[in-house]
Amino acid sequence: MRLEMGTFPVTDITFGRATRYDAGRLTVDCDAVLAAVRQDPRIASAELEIAKPGESVRIWPVRDVIEPRIKVEGPGVCYPGICGREIATVGEGRTHRLAGMGVVEVSSVNWHDAGGDFVETYLDMSGHYGEMYPYQKLLHLCLVVEPDSTLNEEVKNYAVHKAALTVADQLGEAVRALAPPEYQIFELTPVDPKLPKVIYIWCVHSPQAMSGSPSAFCTATYGLTQLTPPWYLHPNEILDGALTGPYRTAFAMSWTVANNPLLLDLYRRHGRDWNFLGVISLRTEWTTQTEKQLMANQTAKLAQQLGADGAVVTWDAGGNEFIEVVRSIQACERLGIKTVFLTSEDDATDGAPTMLEPLPEADAIVSTSFFKNVTLAVPEAPAVARVIGLPTKIVRRGSTIGLHGGVDGAALPTAGPLPPPWRYDDHYGFTSLSCIE
Amino acid sequence: MISAIYNFALTTGANRVIRGARIEHVCGDPTLSAEKDYAFGMRIVTTALQTLTIAVPGPTLFDPMASGKEAAHAS
Amino acid sequence: MSGPLRIVHYVNQFFGGIGGEDQAHVGVSVRAGAVGPGRVLEKALGDDARVEATLVCGDNFASENEADAARAIGAELDRLKPDVLVAGPAFGSGRYGLACALACKVAQGRGIPAITAMHPENPGASNARRGIYIVPTGASTTSMQAALDALAPLARRLGRGQTLGPSEAEGYMPRGTRRVHDRGRPGYQRALDMLLDKLHGRPYRSEVPYAPPERVSPAPPIADLARARIAMVTTGGLVRKGNPDRQVSANAVRYHRHTVAELESLSPAEWEAYHAGYFNHIVNSNPNYILPLSFLRDLERQGKVGRVHEYIYALPGVSTPVAVSAGHGRSIAADLKAGRVDGALLVAT
Repeated sequence: MRLEMGTFPVTDITFGRATRYDAGRLTVDCDAVLAAVRQDPRIASAELEIAKPGESVRIWPVRDVIEPRIKVEGPGVCYPGICGREIATVGEGRTHRLAGMGVVEVSSVNWHDAGGDFVETYLDMSGHYGEMYPYQKLLHLCLVVEPDSTLNEEVKNYAVHKAALTVADQLGEAVRALAPPEYQIFELTPVDPKLPKVIYIWCVHSPQAMSGSPSAFCTATYGLTQLTPPWYLHPNEILDGALTGPYRTAFAMSWTVANNPLLLDLYRRHGRDWNFLGVISLRTEWTTQTEKQLMANQTAKLAQQLGADGAVVTWDAGGNEFIEVVRSIQACERLGIKTVFLTSEDDATDGAPTMLEPLPEADAIVSTSFFKNVTLAVPEAPAVARVIGLPTKIVRRGSTIGLHGGVDGAALPTAGPLPPPWRYDDHYGFTSLSCIE
Repeated sequence: MISAIYNFALTTGANRVIRGARIEHVCGDPTLSAEKDYAFGMRIVTTALQTLTIAVPGPTLFDPMASGKEAAHAS
Repeated sequence: MSGPLRIVHYVNQFFGGIGGEDQAHVGVSVRAGAVGPGRVLEKALGDDARVEATLVCGDNFASENEADAARAIGAELDRLKPDVLVAGPAFGSGRYGLACALACKVAQGRGIPAITAMHPENPGASNARRGIYIVPTGASTTSMQAALDALAPLARRLGRGQTLGPSEAEGYMPRGTRRVHDRGRPGYQRALDMLLDKLHGRPYRSEVPYAPPERVSPAPPIADLARARIAMVTTGGLVRKGNPDRQVSANAVRYHRHTVAELESLSPAEWEAYHAGYFNHIVNSNPNYILPLSFLRDLERQGKVGRVHEYIYALPGVSTPVAVSAGHGRSIAADLKAGRVDGALLVAT
């Protein structure tokens, strides 16, 4: 697979008479873009707002942040499969991307209605809380969108995410025919056979167990969110958005998946430090030991059959999903594949182990610190001058991703000081925060 | 302890571990008929009660579906 | 501090030259100077260090009479006032390891720095004994020299009033004081560096060291189930329908005790699951899946189980810090014991 990636850095976004890109400045024709969104009769309301780094702005509720990418040449579309998009295999030809910006999906639609999983993420464009995330440095075009309230939950999710993708596509069109200021070729070229072969085992939450539905909305692989055996994905497929869509945390957004620094560095150093074989994507939250172990066995077998000498492993969830992740690591080690695990840690009070199921084979762990904002002692985010989205945020004590203070069920003003969401959880190692003792 | 994710229970030191059906329905299986579901749940529960009468050296797994109701010891 | 470093060395009856297992009952005694491995320790510590005295105590005495042993050790330390206490190494000997941990705790309680050494799986090194400096060793005494060579430099620095750096830098076992730390380089870079080190056979150090989980001794078996009182506990988040007790769905700070004295079964009209970690709807149709009351009542009627205890205990087992869970467990266990329960079934989701 050979992919040419043309990058168009965005240095400013404004509304104007046409959607155009000119030397870093992106103008957005608000009416035309919203007209495209409103073509879907399932959309009840849609507005666009701009948020810039350094502004005293808070965006809530943030369901996803999407980097506009479009296929200029070659099969398929970027962000394939999700929300009814074409499923043709991607990763070839030419793709153009708008870098330094995100399309933010702002909506009150919750992930599913089975309980336990709530949208909790908000983003600040300035201040200590915003600084913890890569989004504060990006320009954002926020789509504040609500669907027809009579639709069922899955269709609502589909409709609002599709709307956000529509906006991203509209912006991408502005650079389809332009010459990219930055240009890179992505190809897993043949390398020195003495280089160690390395695979990236990318564990992704499936909402099937929590929601009771195989088609609940979440991070998707070619549009599928259900529990499936491990997939092999060429890294170019990831660059073209084959793995996309949000999960719960601020670090689990389409933007972080497409801009995963671990994936990019693995690619960058292909041929120099290793022979990068690609990605094995393992879906997590199987609910019996047998299924968890089976997935671990098959992941390790797939890695071995691909010839891996080493593997780096990440995951994007919590709880019992740790089990299939750590058992994949164990299975790889038992086949002689050397693994490194990049993960966050749980509460260490009273010297408790910070891994759910410590196994001796998981002997090379890089920690992205405690995953709970309360353990990180993150102070509440300060009051802001402007809110994009809903004016209040409901406190949900005890929800696994909810606020940890205040009266359960109370609605706090979004603009006021707000406790951070439950989870921090830097899944892909963007930052240098860690733990030590 | 009755758990569907029993290896984790063993690794973390639970001594009498009985294999449950699935996280969402530990003592039974709603995909079976009402009678078979109940019989399955009963088998799990009676296995669990039996383990209370057995001396174990450390974390030990008991599988209600295995014949003889004994199973591998954990490491 | 100047002048020679003054060490007190704690050893068991065997290393103290008193005897073997047959002398494990002896109490605390003091010998002047170094004894047995204490001589090797003294050498490893260097010229300006002296083992002033050796405290010898039987392993059984220390484990069966903790308070007395602690008092005796404390009295000697008050008299001797060393710069640092070194205990062991205990290697794989469990009672010795526990005794070494005790000696260190006593010393630290008096403001005397202390350090010991043992195998990571020694019960003396488990979570319950954190807060003391423990250098990891092999399982057997054949690694005595290596153990003392590792321990000595740290003992010197502690004896000179210095604080030690993080465990991964200094080589002692993590003490349960894990905290946030900025490592200065993004996680993805550190992960790929660690992978290269591992692939090329270079040394690497996990940022999260492996610690074997604590082991608990199994409770002895029940003699006769037909005469036993059996209780049920669930972490499946069972609540009364409508959640009138306002239990949370995760990170429970309390559990709830419900009475089932009048109930034959848990009815979906009266009970449901409220747990943010799994799909609750199936249990909502049949709560007995996570709290098997209907089955226990059947068995009680058939005489196979003596009595079903009147209380059940429930909480949502998700996102609970281990320390909090341990507290819930201790409290439930105490309640069960007070209720003269013989055995309990815990259903986990």
